Amino acid sequence: MRNVILRVKERFVSISVIFVTAIFLTVFLLVEDELSFTVLMLVGGGLFYFVKRRDCFKEVIVFARQSRYGFLICIFLALLTVLIILRNEHFALFMIASVALYSTVCFGLTIQLGYAGLTNFAGAAFFGVGGYAIAVLSSENFPDILSVLTGGFMAALVGSVLILPILRTRGHYAALVTIAFALLFKTFLELNDTLGGPQGLKISSMNMFGWDFGKSFFGGSFYLNYVLFSLLVMVSIFTLTRLLEKSWIGLHWDALRIDEISSASFGINISSWKILAFTLGNFFIGLSGALYAKMLGHIAPTNFTFGDSLILISIVILGGIGNPWGVIPAAFLIIVLPEKLQFIQEYRLLLFALLVILVLLYRPDGLFKKALRSFYRGWGKV
Amino acid sequence: MGNSLLNSQGLTVKFGGLTALSDLNFSLEKGELLGLIGPNGSGKTTCFNTITGIYRQAAGTTSLLGKDITGFTPQQIYKCGITRTFQRLRLAVALSVFDNLLIGDSSSLNTNLFFNLFQRSKLKQEIEKKINKVKKIISVFNPALVDKLYEPVSKLSMIDRRRIEVCRALISDPKVLLLDEPSAGMTQEETRDFMNDLHEIKTKSPDLGIILIEHEMNVIESVTDRCIVLSYGKKISEGSFKDVSRNPSVRTAYLGED
Amino acid sequence: MLLGSLDQYLINGLVLGVIYAMVAVGFTLFFGVLNVIKFSHGDVLMAGAFAALIAYISLQNFVSISIWMMVVITTTFAFAAMALFGAIVARFLVLPLRGAPPLNTLLITLMLGLAVREAVRLFYPNGSNPKPFPKLLPDTDIFIFGLEIRHDSLIIIFGGLAAICFLHLLIKKTRLGLSIQAVAQDSETARLMGINFQKIVLGTFALGSGLAALAGVLNGLYYNEINFSMGLLLGVVGFSSAVVGGLGSILGAIIGGFLFALLQTIGAIWFEVPAYKDVFAFVVIIAVMAWRPTGLLAETKSDRV
Ligand SMILES: Nc1ncnc2c1ncn2[C@@H]1O[C@H](COP(=O)(O)OP(=O)(O)OP(=O)(O)O)[C@@H](O)[C@H]1O
Ligand SMILES: [Mg+2]
Repeated sequence: MRNVILRVKERFVSISVIFVTAIFLTVFLLVEDELSFTVLMLVGGGLFYFVKRRDCFKEVIVFARQSRYGFLICIFLALLTVLIILRNEHFALFMIASVALYSTVCFGLTIQLGYAGLTNFAGAAFFGVGGYAIAVLSSENFPDILSVLTGGFMAALVGSVLILPILRTRGHYAALVTIAFALLFKTFLELNDTLGGPQGLKISSMNMFGWDFGKSFFGGSFYLNYVLFSLLVMVSIFTLTRLLEKSWIGLHWDALRIDEISSASFGINISSWKILAFTLGNFFIGLSGALYAKMLGHIAPTNFTFGDSLILISIVILGGIGNPWGVIPAAFLIIVLPEKLQFIQEYRLLLFALLVILVLLYRPDGLFKKALRSFYRGWGKV
Repeated sequence: MGNSLLNSQGLTVKFGGLTALSDLNFSLEKGELLGLIGPNGSGKTTCFNTITGIYRQAAGTTSLLGKDITGFTPQQIYKCGITRTFQRLRLAVALSVFDNLLIGDSSSLNTNLFFNLFQRSKLKQEIEKKINKVKKIISVFNPALVDKLYEPVSKLSMIDRRRIEVCRALISDPKVLLLDEPSAGMTQEETRDFMNDLHEIKTKSPDLGIILIEHEMNVIESVTDRCIVLSYGKKISEGSFKDVSRNPSVRTAYLGED
Repeated sequence: MLLGSLDQYLINGLVLGVIYAMVAVGFTLFFGVLNVIKFSHGDVLMAGAFAALIAYISLQNFVSISIWMMVVITTTFAFAAMALFGAIVARFLVLPLRGAPPLNTLLITLMLGLAVREAVRLFYPNGSNPKPFPKLLPDTDIFIFGLEIRHDSLIIIFGGLAAICFLHLLIKKTRLGLSIQAVAQDSETARLMGINFQKIVLGTFALGSGLAALAGVLNGLYYNEINFSMGLLLGVVGFSSAVVGGLGSILGAIIGGFLFALLQTIGAIWFEVPAYKDVFAFVVIIAVMAWRPTGLLAETKSDRV
């Protein structure tokens, strides 16, 4: 017991940074009028500066490295606090679930773009494939958990149609193939009457092993169901993504992304690794698309335009290409900020485009530079 | 002829109107160190690129230990046991030294998805084995590099990068090693060290056949068993360095018309 | 299921082919000198059309000039504005990323395209709706070889072809053109021979972007309507045409452009739903790309190793 108290004392700074961040984000999600929002941003900026000046972030990283379980418990408690405070706030909870699901999509894109170097500019289209798959299945009395998985499988399957031209063509023609697909996908949806045409489809709420997502969760908003499940999905897929990166598979992807010719000269089968990355990435994207559609309760072609694909790519670039850690804050910024600042809502695509251009020019590593691969904990320590 | 290690007959490569290699015949025996020399643009690198399946030949065949490997993909050729270094280094400078060396050993890695994701303790054992293997190889060239195993290649000096390239080609224990100007950019002293390292490699794996492209003639003189001279894609001379260097047409090729 | 007469399909296909070819030539030029793919190219075309529209509206209110003068002035303005824009983009967005992975150039131009599109939508008055483009060309019919052709279509086809030929001559005959060829062949050697690399790159980008602006104007003159998102599809079409022809070859780009228009025309005759013509054209083009990754014309070139 004394030991624990001592540890907590030692970690006081890190723990308070984590909790202050959590509280700040909570207030951020709650604030509605623009004046308070401005004040909040100023306070946040000040806090950030203060924390950064005293190198507290580094301490948090040290904390995470040295005692993983302590760190995870701390994050878990902080999250729990946030959710308890927000338990009745529909919109804030919806935002959290959206950030979780968009982050998951971007883990898929990270595998494709960041690991294997495959340019997929049809992210929103694969997201939509997952959504439409579940929309069709939920009118068929299919178990929901299987439909969510089917959403992922469908996205992977549709992606496999594109894989041949992507593999055959050199360089960044893959970009062209996916853009053409993204543009045609929307046309296809709008023309297809069985998929509801421009109006789209309605979707029943999620129900899994008797867990009814449409009902209030222990007295809180029904969105809590979705938040918890989305966070679960996000954490699982994040873990898978990181494990892939820290394995021989990640090594092969890095090698062929950086230099196809030298990889080929050392026996690496470029095509099969690209197929794996593309399929796996699309599976993750479709899976989150299915969940997102379930949460939204309806689905229409306007959610899956080329512009939406570009937003997804922006998140990946902003977070630091190939760094799944950076994706989460970047997704938060890109998803929540326009909702909070209504006056930028209209300008958001323009602002994001300019922001990404600046990032690519002056900080190509994004928010967080991707670290060297460490295969396991304690890697590189003698 | 049947038991020579590597054998090429009538190798011809064209780029549009340019014939970069024409009707090249050569063979490499087990344990031999063959020098490939010739002025700039004479087709030496093209020869390597063709043997390793990166360029496509217009005509000619190549065989390894009597097995025809003409038209194989680079991957297949690597698996047959031919590895190389590149004239303009092709390391992944953003990755660590360890990662780069392991790329050279990719076919020995277990890439099963389940194994990589969920059998992490077994994976860790495999990785630890690889660390030992890597350390053994690089300490032959430069023991100081062992401490830099976990650093990105971008932090290494040019010389060390070249060493890493050679190690990457050696780690899979190949039958044939193709070295494309490994000493470029090294001082004379460093070149000498490097050649000593080569000797060590040769004594350790006596069956390894090496083809060395090199502009430094004293290096060629001291290490090669035999030389081939190319000029404008044609073989103009072959034999020991002494014989070759006396050949008047070789002098003409190097010094110009007169 | 024919909605119009066959000659209408033919003329329409030719007009589209010329416009696509003009866009594709731009892609080919940029790729030639700098090995980059500029994804904002289609949006430059759109911006060029809007620049012409702005010029037209401002002139119309102040001076009374003949309609032909109007065509010349608006077109020149669009060309100049986009040429300048192209050079600026090359200088400040593309050249600084030369050392970075090629992916970054692709991403930055993709985002630039989005920015241009959004800027027009947001800042052009009522920009999210389609805008009428003035009918500056006579739309009376004439008969050639028994074909019924409108004057404006004819002018557009020949105007576009003339622009492409002019560009071709420029590249084959002038000093600037020779330097562009030299840089495209081998930029290192060209630099050693004293060619001002940056100047040539800027010049090429200006030229390609100006050509796209012309294509935008022609497109506007043909449909008498423009909108902020028209460049997206045109850009992708132009890029595919360039790739199918063989990136780097001007003749290939022209053939690619006409091929795409031909496919669309066949699609339009074949399918009842108009939107399927694009699906058809893209599917065929992508299949051709998968069949011949280096394009129909370009010789199979291996990267230098
Ligand atoms: N991918 C390619 N495309 C077109 N021409 C090429 C290509 N690769 C090589 N060449 C040409 O083939 C000829 C031989 O080049 P190669 O690189 O084999 O010469 P080299 O003997 O290695 O010269 P160096 O000593 O300078 O390395 C040169 O004229 C070169 O320009
Ligand atoms: Mg060479």
